[in-house]
Amino acid sequence: MWCTKSAAERRYLSRVLVSMTGYILATASVSWMFAHRHPQGAAVYLLALLPALPIFACIAILGIYLSAERDEFVRTILVKSSLWATGVVLAFATFWGFLQSYAPVIDRTLNFPMYWVFFVWWIAFGLAEPLVRRTYK
Amino acid sequence: MKNRLRVLRAEKNWSQADLAERLEVSRQSVNAVETGKFDPSLPLAFKLARLFEMTIEEIFSDDGSS
Repeated sequence: MWCTKSAAERRYLSRVLVSMTGYILATASVSWMFAHRHPQGAAVYLLALLPALPIFACIAILGIYLSAERDEFVRTILVKSSLWATGVVLAFATFWGFLQSYAPVIDRTLNFPMYWVFFVWWIAFGLAEPLVRRTYK
Repeated sequence: MKNRLRVLRAEKNWSQADLAERLEVSRQSVNAVETGKFDPSLPLAFKLARLFEMTIEEIFSDDGSS
């Protein structure tokens, strides 16, 4: 990452930290609820939504950061990295979808829940960012 | 796009970090613009022009590559 962080980046990092803390707490609480209270009906949907909310927030936080970052070069790097990450996730999800259709054994064995695509996106973003930055050196 | 930023900066005896601070951007941004790898937006180009008390055309020139 950059040597000095802009005010927008510092706000972004602290917001991500808060949302990820919320995600961990929500995931732990919901897992406990499903393991011990066995919710039924509408509660299942509401509880499943709970850990997704911090993820929605995290996506919005990145969007806010992209709007707030005043350094256009940094913004360009972030946007290009985001596009790469989005491309990787779309390609991966498409391939996984075909695997589910044609190789259900692999799907059952690896048991890859769809919510992991968010983390795949971040991994791809993390890998893309230094590579995109390198193209400007 | 070609530019004379490195020369102009040297004339003022500024480091990339000094110029970055004056422009309120990162040092990497200054480096990318200076090496011609990143074309600045019009607002940033105007900011540079004001800083060096020149016109944009005196700092940047189209190399015809794009």
